[in-house]
Amino acid sequence: MEEVLMQKLQILADSAKYDVSCSSSGADRNNKGRMGNAHAAGICHSWGADGRCISLLKVLFTNKCEYNCEYCVNRRSNDFPRASFEPDELARLTIEFYKRNYIEGLFLSSAVEVSPDYTAERILKCLKLLRYKYGFAGYIHAKIIPGVSPEIIHQTGLVADRLSVNIEMPTSKSLAAFAPQKKPKQIFAPMKQITNTLIETRALKGPGTMFKGEKLNSMDKLVWPAKGNPGALVDPGSTARKGSFAAAGQTTQMIVGAGDETDFSILTTSENLYRTFKMKRVYYSAYIPIVDSPILPDRNTAPPLAREHRIYQADWLLRFYGFNVGELLGGKNQNLDPDVDPKVMWALRNLDNFPIEINRATYEELMRIPGIGHISAKRIIRQRIFRAVKFEDLQKMGVVVKRARYFVLCCGRYNGNKRFEPETIRNSMLQMENGLQLSLFDNKWMRLEEGERLEKLATSGVI
Amino acid sequence: MIDYLYDGTFEGVLTCVYHHYYTEEAAGISVKGEYQPSLLHDCMYVETDGAKASRVYEAIEKKINSYALKTVYRAYLSNDPHKEMKILRYLVLGFRNPYAAGHNRSDPAVFDMETLVKKVGFEKERMLEFVRFEAIKGDRADEGDDNDGGAGEMLYAEVEPDNDVLELIGDHFSDRFKNNPFIIRDLGRNKALIAYEGHWYISEGLPENLNPVRTEDEISYQRLWQTYFDHIAIKERVNPRCQRNFMPARYWKHLTEMNRK
Repeated sequence: MEEVLMQKLQILADSAKYDVSCSSSGADRNNKGRMGNAHAAGICHSWGADGRCISLLKVLFTNKCEYNCEYCVNRRSNDFPRASFEPDELARLTIEFYKRNYIEGLFLSSAVEVSPDYTAERILKCLKLLRYKYGFAGYIHAKIIPGVSPEIIHQTGLVADRLSVNIEMPTSKSLAAFAPQKKPKQIFAPMKQITNTLIETRALKGPGTMFKGEKLNSMDKLVWPAKGNPGALVDPGSTARKGSFAAAGQTTQMIVGAGDETDFSILTTSENLYRTFKMKRVYYSAYIPIVDSPILPDRNTAPPLAREHRIYQADWLLRFYGFNVGELLGGKNQNLDPDVDPKVMWALRNLDNFPIEINRATYEELMRIPGIGHISAKRIIRQRIFRAVKFEDLQKMGVVVKRARYFVLCCGRYNGNKRFEPETIRNSMLQMENGLQLSLFDNKWMRLEEGERLEKLATSGVI
Repeated sequence: MIDYLYDGTFEGVLTCVYHHYYTEEAAGISVKGEYQPSLLHDCMYVETDGAKASRVYEAIEKKINSYALKTVYRAYLSNDPHKEMKILRYLVLGFRNPYAAGHNRSDPAVFDMETLVKKVGFEKERMLEFVRFEAIKGDRADEGDDNDGGAGEMLYAEVEPDNDVLELIGDHFSDRFKNNPFIIRDLGRNKALIAYEGHWYISEGLPENLNPVRTEDEISYQRLWQTYFDHIAIKERVNPRCQRNFMPARYWKHLTEMNRK
């Protein structure tokens, strides 16, 4: 028994690992079943060799796929070992892992076996077993396959904490090119249904602090006409309990670097998803060439990890810092600056807003200063009720002084020490001299000997 | 000025704070066995006194606030060698100006305390993440009357946290595993969190040779987890530095996936 299960687990974990989402946050409840609870902040239990956290048991239910999406490891034409779980087998494995505190719950996705409905029903069966037979009250994240009937989506939402439909590609053009069997309509209809049901059960929360203070669950916030509304399966107030449907909301995921989209079009798509569907999160995954295809990047291309990182930073600016995409990108700036983070990039372009006096700025203004986040902004506000914040105090507030110093005044004093113009600030931040990054470390983070450093400078023609 | 020695309990620290005000100002406060005699100051062993401790306890709550009380207790749980004096300095500041204790983070007394509390809180979160249970056979295996479905099975974990965070994780785990009795044992401090049916308590001084006996399928679940762990990583993205940042090597000893036997 164990050997078979071991093999299935290997194959189906290998097939699932390119799914990004792993968070277990957003749901908070005490033990109501026989085992388990959910922690609002989410708990990561381990970190894999790639440094990504392991919070949920992330597996595919099956990797036998009818579809042939270009970018996907599980595509039909890929020669690859295939396997499927039995519903009971997977439910028991989840319970045993959960009991040992290896995981926070289950993240169940699947390839399309036979048809979307057939697969989704098998997934639903497994989740129901887990919830009702085994009394599992931990976290469940279920992936919705495009094209599944609304009734099954609703049933899945009642057992899962979080639902997600992958948008995969940032534009409909690239979706048509890379995943010809998936249609934009099949992706957006379930998203819409999930958001609608969340509104009906008064459980829509929205991404980060983007809609803080706004009433998201009132009916006038419905952004589309009720005509043909697939979510209206439940009469609000009768059977629908508050928060019983997908308590942690919905998310989605898109691939970065498979097509030739710009950062601007990727982030615009995300912003639209946040504004329209009030999604909790959009995940990004740097494209890793795993299959050969004439329309995809070459197999030896390194995944664009740095780009993915900058896009995530910009995404955070959208969700928590009150930025919108139009402020960051647009016009001739189609891509984020690879050398500095998006907030610094924005600040350098809008230097007329700076420097900001730290003792007078509002919370929203503080949040726009590079090197200051929500924790340090709150600390500054807490402290200055009592006493002015001086430059020496910034570090104690948790501010990243090496970035913030160029953009702030403390008690009227500027401590940037450089001329107040974008290029000078950018160079001194990157520790550049004559256009060369003057690092004391080489890229493997070993301290350079003085001789090595001079040699480096000499070879690049600086000295 | 005098060095106070105490017995290592929270009430002991509070009693020392009492003596700082009513007997003689404290130059240092240490646990009795760890004291390094000083040439400058005399030392005195302070007998822990419940009445004095509770006077200080109530004064903190009334004159500063309950947040300060929580701060002081969490700081007491830390393993910082100077925690007692940091607590004292914070309380001296707080009694003089309660507002400063809550707001003036740039004051060293407040900063030190908030740093300690953050460390303790952070390690508590890490324990929620890194406790790894093993299913072991319980004594109750022979009794026919247990209806927990576990057939006399219980969960057992060993941890070695830097700070004394065992009692902070009790509520979380006892709610989660209401129907599974469990023991989380702090090897360094030789104490254990014991929980059953949603209730828990801390037991000190466990016998050295507990010799837990694993259930028959325990090893196969450990192997399954290790296999899963190896296969979920994307090899094109391998980044050991990032992994170690989140999961420091000092915790590896008790992590099933990092410590392969």
